[in-house]
Amino acid sequence: MQSPLDSRLQEAETQRFATQDWFAELRRQGWQQFSSLPLPKRTDEKWRFSDTRSLSLEHFCLAGVPSDEVVDRLIAQSHFISRPSGLLVHIDGHCVLRPALAPELATQGVKFESFEDALRHHPALLKEYILKHCAGLGGEKFLALHQAWLRSGTVLYVPKNVEIKQPFVSVHWTATEGVAIFPHTLVIAEDGAKVTLHDFQCSAEPQLRALAISAADLYAGKGATISRLAVQAWGLATQSFEIANTCGAKESLITSVNAALGARRARLENTIRIQGEGADVRLYGISVATGEQEFDQRTLQVHDAGNAKSDLLFKNVLLDKARTIFSGLIKVAPDAQRTDAYQTNRNLLLSPEAEADSLPGLEIEANDVKCSHGATTGQVNPEELFYLLARGIPLPVAQELLAEGFLEEVLAKVDDEEAAAVVREMFRQKFHS
Amino acid sequence: MSENDESQAQREAIEVDRTKGDFKYAEDYAFDAGVGLNPQVIDYISKVKGEDPWILEFRQKALKIFSDMPMPTHWATQDLDAINFDAIRYYLAKGQKPVRTWEEVPDDVKETFERLGIPESERKFLAGVEAQFDSEAVYSRMKDELEKQGVIFCGPTEGLRDHPDIFRKWFGKVIPAGDNKFAALNSAVFSGGSFIYVPKGVKVAQPLQAYFRINAENFGQFERTLIIADEGSEVTYMEGCTAPKFETATLHSAVVELVALKGAKIQYITVQNWSANVFNLVTKRGVAEEDAEVRWIDCNIGSRLTMKYPGVVLRGKRARGEVLSIALANDGQHQDTGAKMIHAADETSSNIIAKSISVGAGRSTYRGLVHMPKTLKNCKNNTECDALLINEHSRTDTYPAISVRGQKNSVQHEASVSKVSAEQIFYMMQRGLSEGEAMSLAVNGFVNDLVKEFPMEYSVELKRLIELQMEGSVG
Amino acid sequence: MADSLIIKNLNASIGDRQILKNFSLTIPKGEVHAIMGPNGTGKSTLAKVLAGHPDYTVQSGEATLDGQPILGQEPDSIARAGLFLAFQYPSEIPGVTIANFIRAALIARQEKGAPFDAKAYYAELYAKMDALKMDRKFTSRFVNEGFSGGEKKRCEILQMMMLKPKYAVLDETDSGLDIDALRIVSEGVNHMRGPSIGCLVITHYQRLLEYIVPDRVHIMYDGHIVHSGGKELAVELEAKGYDWVKKELASA
Repeated sequence: MQSPLDSRLQEAETQRFATQDWFAELRRQGWQQFSSLPLPKRTDEKWRFSDTRSLSLEHFCLAGVPSDEVVDRLIAQSHFISRPSGLLVHIDGHCVLRPALAPELATQGVKFESFEDALRHHPALLKEYILKHCAGLGGEKFLALHQAWLRSGTVLYVPKNVEIKQPFVSVHWTATEGVAIFPHTLVIAEDGAKVTLHDFQCSAEPQLRALAISAADLYAGKGATISRLAVQAWGLATQSFEIANTCGAKESLITSVNAALGARRARLENTIRIQGEGADVRLYGISVATGEQEFDQRTLQVHDAGNAKSDLLFKNVLLDKARTIFSGLIKVAPDAQRTDAYQTNRNLLLSPEAEADSLPGLEIEANDVKCSHGATTGQVNPEELFYLLARGIPLPVAQELLAEGFLEEVLAKVDDEEAAAVVREMFRQKFHS
Repeated sequence: MSENDESQAQREAIEVDRTKGDFKYAEDYAFDAGVGLNPQVIDYISKVKGEDPWILEFRQKALKIFSDMPMPTHWATQDLDAINFDAIRYYLAKGQKPVRTWEEVPDDVKETFERLGIPESERKFLAGVEAQFDSEAVYSRMKDELEKQGVIFCGPTEGLRDHPDIFRKWFGKVIPAGDNKFAALNSAVFSGGSFIYVPKGVKVAQPLQAYFRINAENFGQFERTLIIADEGSEVTYMEGCTAPKFETATLHSAVVELVALKGAKIQYITVQNWSANVFNLVTKRGVAEEDAEVRWIDCNIGSRLTMKYPGVVLRGKRARGEVLSIALANDGQHQDTGAKMIHAADETSSNIIAKSISVGAGRSTYRGLVHMPKTLKNCKNNTECDALLINEHSRTDTYPAISVRGQKNSVQHEASVSKVSAEQIFYMMQRGLSEGEAMSLAVNGFVNDLVKEFPMEYSVELKRLIELQMEGSVG
Repeated sequence: MADSLIIKNLNASIGDRQILKNFSLTIPKGEVHAIMGPNGTGKSTLAKVLAGHPDYTVQSGEATLDGQPILGQEPDSIARAGLFLAFQYPSEIPGVTIANFIRAALIARQEKGAPFDAKAYYAELYAKMDALKMDRKFTSRFVNEGFSGGEKKRCEILQMMMLKPKYAVLDETDSGLDIDALRIVSEGVNHMRGPSIGCLVITHYQRLLEYIVPDRVHIMYDGHIVHSGGKELAVELEAKGYDWVKKELASA
């Protein structure tokens, strides 16, 4: 069953949630907003350097439940790490694997559920936390579309002072030509809680055409710790948008690592909101862009509370005719004194046809701050290259080694070494493809 | 003299200086285009100047562009909307021809420039001076030997009339009328400014200077400068500016075009000290041909709002471009400055160093553009921008845009924001300095490496201006 | 003399500065030669030119490795042909571990697609690290990043021992070393000495040559060798100083 994404279908789908008034209303509002907003233009400051001409939301559809054969095959490929605290698998927006939570976690009140299950079981929780912030970085229309079709995703809730060492894993697959999916990730770590979530986004076939508009809401309570690894490894015919909001309360520690490998174009909008003193939020990104891929990274670090820290590092390796755009802004509110905020973007150009654009920005309204940003774009260091060549390593291998070394700085920020190894290997594969 | 007396004396000296530009004389003008902007105003200006028809046409076209273009408030400050273009007088002049001796300058105007110390500077260290009073230059003189070497130093009217072969080719080419709304406005109503030509191989050792003075209220000054340095020549140009403090907004919107031909060097120095009611919206750009160098040294201390991003188009192989920028924003001021480097040939290099200081509720903004297209190789850019925030609600923004393709091109951008460290202040106070003096010293230290790049006479002036601005910033 | 590193009438420059001027030298396999000379005389340039550094231009002359010409070849081809350069200032390679780096260099020397024996590799790597008194944890550190001067030089010798070159050029290997590190590094080199390798030791001081005793000593000045002799020449040079070279030998 394949149906176009029109008003009729939107309303029909929304009717399914009639028992949850607020949610049906949320979807309708999303659709209204989506319909009234224009597609972004290149002249929009928030879309500067983006290829807005190729933006198209036409000719995508919702897909039906996948066949057993597809389900079995893709679940088998979803075991990225050996012993997760829980594994949730979605295919084409349908949850196909929802394992029972270990009893010791369940009794402590931990929840790790598909979005639809959570909507049934804990509507108040979702109502309180999802989509509370406007996009703000240019993706308003896309976030509205996400809201209009929202039904699938992952909800992870960790109660006060519960610490969970083993990561949770959520995997989203696309398996149908022309499919559109709108996965949502909600992570709530209550005061003093500690949790890790790995998100993987993959396509069943590398050339599958798809549209993925994801959104993530992360909340770390007082003294809570959240680590998130988001791996975007869609097939090369996918258009991917992710709009993420991260809120850190007092003394929370949040680490978010975003690895980009797939999609024809992938736009990531990531906003960090520092809401309590002593919070420490770290946002990292790595990508290897090949062919005609475009990775469009927009970030915002908002310091509303003082005496807190945020760190950002985005590293991109570019080959062929690929393009990366990094646009970041650190915003320090007038009363957020004693802020430490950093922002670094480093681009490694391995091809003369590739283009790296960098827009690192600062808006500082408090004076007792330590803020800096840096951006560099260049080729591999010729002395480093010569050193490798002088050991007999051929040029392409030397360049690859240097590029992998370049990415290592960010991979080292992933606490889970097993997951880091998985991502490292994915990048290595990409170099060899 | 005891220490107390000495600092008292210093303060007094400073007090006199503080009002250095803040005086005005009665307005009586022989030429006045009236209030507001329309095609008749343009006709009037062009007619008074006795211009060729092509210039009038250029002006009228530019007026049309200006009227059609929106205010750039989608990226720039909303404060621009405070400008009332209908309440401004676009042309005011006492006469049409600058004189060559200070004795011939009308008394009130002469007194103005004497109070600003211009004739004295000319005697001491300048190769030539032009002094503009509202819309027209009242005094213009260059050393005789330069004239003999073929150097031309005049205003746009004389330049386009007497040397069309030299100036017309480049006029409006580096910055076309449609470049931005204020370049269009200038192209419509420009008057005054410097047109300079330095012949092949001539190296002008001492700087040429222009001094811009706004005397009338509700007035807009729109000078236009075009400097052409022919192959292998060198020239340094300096501009200064002041205006009295008025209750109402005053507009200054200049266009400055620089052309450095093969192997030439142009250094353009600005010390902008408009009073705090002036909107200073200026477009400055240079073209550097093969092995040529264009260097902007840009210092913004005055004005209510300055928007200015000097640029260099690096058009020839191995061309070099540099922008050194100092901005100081005090209460009620917004210094929106920056730099643009457009690389358009192989092996070109550019350097940007921008330092800003925000005092009180002052706001400083850096906007930068570095562009390297894919056809180029071995180009380099280095950008450093550092902001110093003095008070609790001082504000700074940084918005660079960097776009890189091509082979072996490299770009490095670094920016930092900091405040004067409490340790530093304590250290100096322990040595007996007041907190204000310590702060002022620290700020001078912050910009010291850039101030050193200014000619001596200017760096002394600059340091004093900074000290003045820092007064009362702590406490 | 096929089994030699032979350099004949080599002229090379950097930018518009001529550095090597008709430089000639032959190092037979199995021998250790030392080049001494004042600063700026072209010793390090010689090392870089032999290794194929792109900043230098060779105007004329030839250099052969067991009869195989190396000038004008890519640096990696020269290295695989059997020339090893121990750098005076080894580069830091962020993010690339020593283990991965040496492995990549060894794989580059294998036939394409041949399996790599990782177990044997680590066994050998650890053995050589033990010999050089290097902590085994070094394998997971990034190449030269944050290393002390002595650690960098030890890492160079480790690579040399692993890659087993036919000829090694050691460029100022003693600089930045304290006496203990100097002894360890020298032991490493001496351990490799034998009929299957030729070494060229470039040094400013005689000190290193007390540990690595050369078969021949050459004095280089103004871009070429001005005097050659046995190991006693190093001692003589130390006693008389480089002014002696400048005054007497250069004019000879």
